[in-house]
Amino acid sequence: MSVRDGDQQLDLAARLSDREVVICAGSGGVGKTTVSAALGIAMVAELDKRVLVLTVDPARRLATALGLESVGTEPAAVPRAQLKRALGAAPKGELVTAMLDQKSTWDRLVEQLSPDRAAAARIRRNPFYNGISDAFVGSHEYMAMEALYELHTAREYDVLIIDTPPSRNALDFLEAPNRLGDFVGARLLSWLAGPTRMGFRAMGFAAGPFMRMADRLLGTDVLADLSAFVRDLQQLYGGVQQRAREVYKLLRAPATGFVVVTTLEPSPFAEAEFFASKLHEFSMPLRAFVINRVLPDSLREPEAIAAAQALAGGASVAALLSEELGEKVSADVPKRIAEAFLTLSRLADRDSRQVARLARLGRVPLARLPLVDHDISDLEGLSLMAAGLRGQLGQ
Amino acid sequence: MAGKGGTGKSTIAGALALIAARRGKRVLCIDIDAKGDLAGALGSPPVGFQPRSVQPNVDVLALIPEESLQEYLHVYFKVPRLARLTPLSRVFDFVATGVPGAREMLVIGKIAFEEKRRDRDGSPAWDLIIVDAAATGHFIPQIRAARAMLDLVKGGMIRSQVEWIDAILTDPERTVLTICALPEEMPVVEALELSERARREVHICIGAGFLNRTIPVVLTPRQRKVLERMGAASRVVRLSDELGGDVGAVVQGARLSQRLYDSGAIHAKHLREGIGAPVLEVPLQVDARPGLATTRAVATALQRAEGGAA
Repeated sequence: MSVRDGDQQLDLAARLSDREVVICAGSGGVGKTTVSAALGIAMVAELDKRVLVLTVDPARRLATALGLESVGTEPAAVPRAQLKRALGAAPKGELVTAMLDQKSTWDRLVEQLSPDRAAAARIRRNPFYNGISDAFVGSHEYMAMEALYELHTAREYDVLIIDTPPSRNALDFLEAPNRLGDFVGARLLSWLAGPTRMGFRAMGFAAGPFMRMADRLLGTDVLADLSAFVRDLQQLYGGVQQRAREVYKLLRAPATGFVVVTTLEPSPFAEAEFFASKLHEFSMPLRAFVINRVLPDSLREPEAIAAAQALAGGASVAALLSEELGEKVSADVPKRIAEAFLTLSRLADRDSRQVARLARLGRVPLARLPLVDHDISDLEGLSLMAAGLRGQLGQ
Repeated sequence: MAGKGGTGKSTIAGALALIAARRGKRVLCIDIDAKGDLAGALGSPPVGFQPRSVQPNVDVLALIPEESLQEYLHVYFKVPRLARLTPLSRVFDFVATGVPGAREMLVIGKIAFEEKRRDRDGSPAWDLIIVDAAATGHFIPQIRAARAMLDLVKGGMIRSQVEWIDAILTDPERTVLTICALPEEMPVVEALELSERARREVHICIGAGFLNRTIPVVLTPRQRKVLERMGAASRVVRLSDELGGDVGAVVQGARLSQRLYDSGAIHAKHLREGIGAPVLEVPLQVDARPGLATTRAVATALQRAEGGAA
């Protein structure tokens, strides 16, 4: 399979439906959430599967269309009747949607990995805990992975489709499980857990000057609060390491597939290429590219460009148009119309050169979704996009 | 400069720097977005923690929290650079990683440090500092986290540092937040949320909104009417014969362009009405190559938009 084959009608939904986990990744603003939801619809339209779409930050109207009111609500099945209306046929499977609740995912993680309830409660009460989710790079990404892991372990669904947080840096996402390990890691924390005189002496380090400096910088008590927090947190370390290993195992499993979503804007596109190369490096399975908001091919046809250039041609064209339309048309009118076309045409040209670059990434199936001139925020719009993902849209 | 990821913050931040530099200002651009393409937007390879001159009158630096920490402690508190004091550096490593607000504080601390930097003759080193900030979702937490340190840290030198920096941030004479959006639903929704929260929760003044990548060619109602009449099937055939080529495809393409403009215009209107600051439009740059060429083209477009707005 090469990029050339991607130009053919490709049923991406069918190709991905034998996975247990589908992870949609890409830059912010490329339509990942919409594509994830549409992929779910495309799967349940044709296949008798129970599919969960876990979204991170959907636009409000899209969330409403999917039956998601707010973060923290239970997973909700999209009513069959509504799906049937949007698809024009009864869906064969069941679509459930949920929104990632980062805070409660953290809470559950602490709950599970703490040695006892008292320790978990102490951690959650500590003033440092509330800031922890923002405290290390990639925590949003990690919580998405953690939620995925929980859902996969529960085995309530045939396919899990995960819409990832809009990460600017692909590495944040792929390295997040390890980062949590590092964060809670013994290397940093064991030392701080016991800033006692004994501990200092054992390190060959005088306690006095350190304590004085810490007090000068932070004020008194902060260090005591911090080390209490650290001692509790450190008990999670083994569990966190183990969990990170399991999450990586899941990400690399044959039952998992990554879908990289991008538009052809230079910056998200470059990010998508980078992400794809990193997936390869991490031995994580890239199953498809979805290129969203592709301009129609007709913009690049030589016949059309020739006509536009003729239209921009000046006085004789205005005379011709005036005669044809039976009204006075000034020369600037066909010129502006030609410009409107040619601008998009040049954009389409730039875009097609980008697509050609994907060939360098090897044999990855490619789905192209056409640009639409409105926001997709209802089941009808999603169903149309789903048809595109099933290769049922003409280009 | 804040805004949803992918809205072109770095390009617009770079363009503002070029404009200010042309007007004789000494500009420092600070990239605190992890990916750091601000240097790229100004035609430079990646930069580090120290300001580097990349264009006449324009310097860039990128903030890496670990380095910032050392610098911060060294500059403000005369703590020796810590590379040799391993256990101590580990503690501060943890503090930077684990204490809510510490990282953010370091970032803001570095910005404040550059704001205070003076030349030998005592004049400010920079006339303008442009910060390419995190995506909208992270911006308010970042500022708040710095402030949250005031709750955790009851005394000590860091506290007075935080208070001093806070005063700069909330002074509209010295600091404004500009927000970048695209003429699409989510970027505008996020921009409006951000402007609201910036005002209400962190008391930062909104300086301007930027609407990036608008459709460059907009037809007047009269031009649209001609376009529609040209599109009638029999006319398309005759015009195609007369002009040579496929006029139908041109009509289709021009219509698509206008529909895209119209759907964007709804979001643009929301942005204008809600942001409470002037909004400048930056047309989509089709022809310029990514990087400095695009940044320059955007600078030209911004100056034109500013002329139009004035």
